[in-house]
Amino acid sequence: MLAVETKYFGTLSLAEESVFHFPQGLPAFEEEKSFVLIEAPKLTEAPKEDAPLVFLQSATRSSLCFAAFPIQAVDKGYQLAIAAEDLEDLGLDVERQPDLYTEVMVLALVSLNDKLLATANLMAPIVLNLKTRCGLQAIRRDSRYSHQHPVAPGVARENTAEGAC
Amino acid sequence: MLVLRRRAGESVLIGDEIEIELLAITQQGAKIGIRAPKETVVLRKELKITQEQNTRAAQGGSVKDLEQAIKKTAGLNSRIDSSPR
Repeated sequence: MLAVETKYFGTLSLAEESVFHFPQGLPAFEEEKSFVLIEAPKLTEAPKEDAPLVFLQSATRSSLCFAAFPIQAVDKGYQLAIAAEDLEDLGLDVERQPDLYTEVMVLALVSLNDKLLATANLMAPIVLNLKTRCGLQAIRRDSRYSHQHPVAPGVARENTAEGAC
Repeated sequence: MLVLRRRAGESVLIGDEIEIELLAITQQGAKIGIRAPKETVVLRKELKITQEQNTRAAQGGSVKDLEQAIKKTAGLNSRIDSSPR
């Protein structure tokens, strides 16, 4: 077992296999190479159906923890467009996009904008290879999705249809 | 924004020390080469945006604050799914 000091949930004892390796780190956090995924809605007050919030906690730096949503929770029809180089780095088939449920988990990092509204980054999702436990942030080459997608019904729909920002 | 038309092999100079050359144009896009002093940071714009966005995302306060903001912004899943549009 691995004891991980977390930003929000104290020290958690996790199986070694629950660690995801990020060989390149994340942009602005390049030195952080391992993260654990904390999927424990019961730790928070929100009902699971309303906010399937998950946390990407650095395994080595307790103060670094990202909140994220599974991307399909933000946009049910989200179309993956992972670049070939990223697919290769993830150890996935470069000829096709991976299956969202069986091969990869894709997360949109959540942040608060200047108006303190929650936004999700749909332009640069975190892609986790469920088989190899390897992950990276796959920045889209197109401008179909926003990096500050408002986590809101209606608004969310319109934005994804046309690709705002 | 200044707009210039360039053919493959042609360059644009920015100041005295930065040269941008259009190397090739293919179906996939334009390939450009950049010659600049070592101290000049050259980044794909989306990488810069991602760095800034990640920095912002890492600043989250408490889980409670976050959930309140999310609640305030929307009801997410169920409400998006049942949205008439």
